[in-house]
Amino acid sequence: MGKGTPSMAMIEAVGLRKVFRSLERGSGIWGAVGALFSRTFVDKVAVDDVSFSLEPGELVGYIGPNGAGKSTTIKMLTGILVPTGGKLRVAGIVPHEHRMANAANIGVVFGQRSQLYWDLPLRESFELLRSIYDIPRARYLENMRHFGAILDLDRFLATPVRQLSLGERMRGDFAAAMLHDPKIVFLDEPTIGLDVVAKEAIREFIGTVNRDRGTTVILTTHDLADVERLSRRIILIDEGKVIYDGSLERLREEYGTHRTLVVNLAESYPDVVVAGTEVVSRELNLVRLRFNRRELTAEALIRRVTERYKITDVSIIEPDIDSIVRRIYLEGYHEGTIGAPS
Amino acid sequence: MIVATPRFRLEPYVQFAQKAMAREATYRFDVFTSIASVLVRVYLLRMVWVALYARNTAPSDLPLHAIITYSTVALLMGLVMDIDQTRMLHDRLHSGDIATDFMKPIVVPLYFFADGSGEVIFHAVLIVPSLLLALLIVHIDVPGPLVLGTFFVSFFLGYLVGFCINFILNCVAFWTLEIHAVQLIVTWVTDLFGGEIIPLVIFPAFLQKVAFALPFAAMFSTPLLIYIGVIKPERYAAALGLQAFWVVVLGFVATVMWRAGAKRVIVQGG
Repeated sequence: MGKGTPSMAMIEAVGLRKVFRSLERGSGIWGAVGALFSRTFVDKVAVDDVSFSLEPGELVGYIGPNGAGKSTTIKMLTGILVPTGGKLRVAGIVPHEHRMANAANIGVVFGQRSQLYWDLPLRESFELLRSIYDIPRARYLENMRHFGAILDLDRFLATPVRQLSLGERMRGDFAAAMLHDPKIVFLDEPTIGLDVVAKEAIREFIGTVNRDRGTTVILTTHDLADVERLSRRIILIDEGKVIYDGSLERLREEYGTHRTLVVNLAESYPDVVVAGTEVVSRELNLVRLRFNRRELTAEALIRRVTERYKITDVSIIEPDIDSIVRRIYLEGYHEGTIGAPS
Repeated sequence: MIVATPRFRLEPYVQFAQKAMAREATYRFDVFTSIASVLVRVYLLRMVWVALYARNTAPSDLPLHAIITYSTVALLMGLVMDIDQTRMLHDRLHSGDIATDFMKPIVVPLYFFADGSGEVIFHAVLIVPSLLLALLIVHIDVPGPLVLGTFFVSFFLGYLVGFCINFILNCVAFWTLEIHAVQLIVTWVTDLFGGEIIPLVIFPAFLQKVAFALPFAAMFSTPLLIYIGVIKPERYAAALGLQAFWVVVLGFVATVMWRAGAKRVIVQGG
């Protein structure tokens, strides 16, 4: 890229749209039989006017409930699905027009599928990928050494994939997706079904690759802890539309208005009532009070509590991203509704 | 913007075939049982034909040793031909894994072909010892080099016909996902009209006409009739030409089906 040229976006989607057309079918067996002869079509809009742009090296969480259009978007980005409308460029290439050239630029990990050879030792799958992507031998060995160290692959390189645990298999799949140094990786639910330790190892790996190699990452996930840990930017999608695109902090700022004060009472009181708060739960002497941080500071609240009750301990729980996102899906995202009571 | 399509390299497809062979080798037990079952069938079929001929109800003018040779070679060919080399297409459509295949810089049908061929080569290599065993058990005829050479050419063309039929069959899964019923029908028709179990020349004249007009005869019947000498050298060109004709026709149908199916996947999302 020449001097003064504005940096080119790694992914550029403008007004992206995908409509699926399917045969209308009634319910039950007669519906199924009827569908064999029916010529009535139903259109389902899976992705509706989605626009976003990603700079090289960005790590973005692409979040949405089931059926929101996440996978459909990813499929269009990988070139295996033709958009119904809109413009799309991935590393300067229109994916579905140049599926092969695009494929060389991308790496993909599906938490629910594996691209490894089931019956063969893990190492054989890597050898095959070296051949498919024409990775220079030296580069291949270097990457194998590097990923082997981070993901601790060496222990099970000689084990057939079908005998690996889910965590081991996922680590193998991550190495497989990164072996050819893709510019962009698409991670679709990469931590699904993993235990805490394996999840953490995978997150660590994603972070390292993004930071050290400058790989652009799109991460779709249900587990918002992945996003909290890894990305600063999230794109929320619902019913095929982008409903939020921005930093995680801003979202927390706007929607995470309610904090929880956990109070340990020193004595048992029949009723606990504190102005400006709501009792969320109470187990014996442990009380949880929800309050709006825009109306009440923690300091003022603790003072209010201690004026009326004897306590042994307090702590504050910040709103987690999970509850914020859940709230947005229920109520919709409205800019400027800061502090509205929920 | 001009985007260069990555240069075509054969190496990955050779690798696919090698990996398929390695994969088959992990199911060694399967291979041994299928060889054992073929040898049992070789022996049983011989008993049936011997009994039929002994009661003087010989169903054709073929001498007994020719018909025993025919059935034995047919069973050995079946070790290779009965492998559905394109089953992978159906399996991957069914599981949705085909999406990940399209995400790789590979020519997908060529990948299936390479994988299937690896499987077939592995099984073909195993046929050599079974062939020797079969010779010991039933003493089949071994023809001269011209006939044997033509037989192998014809066998290869028959293999391509079988590959195309299987490929077309598995392409149906692009629309239906399930192909079990269609597969049963095709297997039944192939068994009857392919000439694997019963030589087509012993059919009544009318049925022979039907059988020889269908592509299934190109799979087993043509190479086998060459082997036992029913098809004489002066008719070799015509016989091989007809097989080649079927390869071209079925290959064309397979290509059209694949294009339409692949388009459906990338437009409709499968």
